[in-house]
Amino acid sequence: MPHVEMEGVTKAFGAVTVIPPLDLMIDKGEFLVLVGPSGCGKTTTLRMLAGLEEVSGGTIRIGGRDVTHLRPGARDCAMVFQNYALYPHMTVRENIGYAMRVHGTPRATIAERVEEASRLLGLEPYLDRKPRMLSGGQRQRVAIGRALVRHPEVFLFDEPLSNLDAKLRVEMRTEIKLLQRRLGTTAVYVTHDQVEAMTMADRVVVMRAGVIEQAADPITLYEKPANRFVANFIGSPAMNFLSARLADGSVVTDGQVLPLAPEDAARLGPRESIVFGIRPEHMRSSEHQASLTFGAEAVEPLGPHTLVLGRLGGERVTAQVDPRFPVAAGQPCTVPVDMTQAHFFDPDTGLRL
Amino acid sequence: MSAGLSQDRIKHAFLWPAFLLVLAISLFPLIYALIVSFQSVRLVPPLPPRFVGFDNYAEILQSARFWGSMRVTATITLASVALQYVLGFALALALHHNVPGASLYRVTFLLPMFLAPVGVALIARMIFHPFLGPVNDLFTTLGFGHVEFLTRAGPAIAVLVTIEVWQWTPFVTLLMLAGLQSLPHEVFEAAKVDDISPWRRFWDITFPMLLPLSVAVVFIRLVEGFKVIDTVFVLTGGGPGTATETLTLFAYNEGFKKFNLGMTSALSFTFLFVVIVFGTIYLALAQRLVRRVT
Ligand SMILES: Nc1ncnc2c1ncn2[C@@H]1O[C@H](COP(=O)(O)OP(=O)(O)OP(=O)(O)O)[C@@H](O)[C@H]1O
Ligand SMILES: [Mg+2]
Repeated sequence: MPHVEMEGVTKAFGAVTVIPPLDLMIDKGEFLVLVGPSGCGKTTTLRMLAGLEEVSGGTIRIGGRDVTHLRPGARDCAMVFQNYALYPHMTVRENIGYAMRVHGTPRATIAERVEEASRLLGLEPYLDRKPRMLSGGQRQRVAIGRALVRHPEVFLFDEPLSNLDAKLRVEMRTEIKLLQRRLGTTAVYVTHDQVEAMTMADRVVVMRAGVIEQAADPITLYEKPANRFVANFIGSPAMNFLSARLADGSVVTDGQVLPLAPEDAARLGPRESIVFGIRPEHMRSSEHQASLTFGAEAVEPLGPHTLVLGRLGGERVTAQVDPRFPVAAGQPCTVPVDMTQAHFFDPDTGLRL
Repeated sequence: MSAGLSQDRIKHAFLWPAFLLVLAISLFPLIYALIVSFQSVRLVPPLPPRFVGFDNYAEILQSARFWGSMRVTATITLASVALQYVLGFALALALHHNVPGASLYRVTFLLPMFLAPVGVALIARMIFHPFLGPVNDLFTTLGFGHVEFLTRAGPAIAVLVTIEVWQWTPFVTLLMLAGLQSLPHEVFEAAKVDDISPWRRFWDITFPMLLPLSVAVVFIRLVEGFKVIDTVFVLTGGGPGTATETLTLFAYNEGFKKFNLGMTSALSFTFLFVVIVFGTIYLALAQRLVRRVT
């Protein structure tokens, strides 16, 4: 039985429907990440789980118990807010231990857990400071610590790492993930950083305008995006999309012919109109190789590899090539294409073919 | 170098007029009053001013009437400010959480504050009238005895406190409501998710976060309350005897009934001194409390 269940959950603010009926099942101990562009309803979904937002319809169950109309406190979730929401008049120590103190946890246990959390989050030097004397990143860690020590049924994280510097963010995402695995607590994690989503998640839910576009493990999401939106959203730099047609076992785009991998040729057959998708990092040699020539407009060396940005018949193309690849801005450029990594989408519905 | 010097001179040109103006308007009357307080000045019968040193002050400190008025003032102020704060804060909480009926009250709750205290006192005199007032009617109906509200010391002070509370609670409500609405919303959501009861949320979060504001509001009401005169003047005239005479009313009586200006000035300064001393003590204590809590 799933641990957290959302069944036909909807949310409307006045006349505006933000979440059309949404179904989501989360297993016990699963680390689920919600990603999507800004304003797609990630925070709203999380707040409905926490009970801070009343659902407009549908049912929410946690551990088999219907919590749809329960007050937030009765759901046993711990939440990390996007803007920390620390108690400004309490020290770090008090902030982390407050809920436990109110609920009558023995003093020794509180001290032990506070110490454990602060060690884990590197907060030991700041335990007696007030939140206003901390940096943004430190405050965020206090907020995480406050949720951790509760040992709840479900963790809810709303972009908890968004204010940390890059290095700390990488460290923290590993810490959170390890900790969650050790505690075995179900976690729902909201982010719009797809790297965070891919690295932390057992399963990623990609949302757009309140609708789940795809829910799958990170690798599936990357290798078999369900539609053009997911394909575009996951991966950086984003996938190239070229309008094409399929004929004689080849992709024909802008007059260039790229032979398909045999399985694709058999599966897809000839088609008048199709969207051919290829990731920049898949413009590389392979056994089913084709080549594509486009006009390079800019060359961006990144060190390990170089990005070539250009156009092909009015459509933007980005290729990721070797640093020593011979290319110059303003010149035509021919790159290899690994056709085993090609994606095809229906031009009308955007669905994967 | 020379530019710097001339700028220096310009600075003085801007500063001195303002300084002198302030001196003339606020300091001069104060100093004049201070000088008068060391003199014996009587308008009726007119006698030339005579320097008497600290005689006026000594007389004040030895007069039982002064100490009586101190006690009355302190009682009325402390009791009424305490009630104003508790009631005002409670109403602000009700308004903030949109308790049913709050919106109706929201429209009318400021009205008492806008009334002139003298008018309020006149109305109160009718309401608490021993024979014609509705309060005594109610008391009689409920089977309580008939109370002479304005002619016995205890009830008269209770009535004065009631009026103060009725008139100034809205002020406290207004400021506390503004304070409540400025508190960060998510902090309370965090507490809700952590299953902190409303009662604990209030005592552990709302109250400490509003403590600095509370200190300021109570301070304003204390200083204002100390000056209470109009309601007392209309309602009881300080009676029976001098049982409800406040400091300001005492000073007024000295000045405008006995025309003893030296004495009145000395009383004013004593009053100022009392307010400063109590204010300082209050602020020092409050500061320590605030620092401990926030
Ligand atoms: N209280 C509210 N009243 C009306 N509309 C709201 C309210 N809260 C959110 N919305 C709307 O609901 C939509 C989803 O908001 P939500 O905060 O869930 O987005 P999000 O996915 O968390 O975005 P972000 O990544 O920017 O945090 C937005 O279009 C927003 O304008
Ligand atoms: Mg959000």
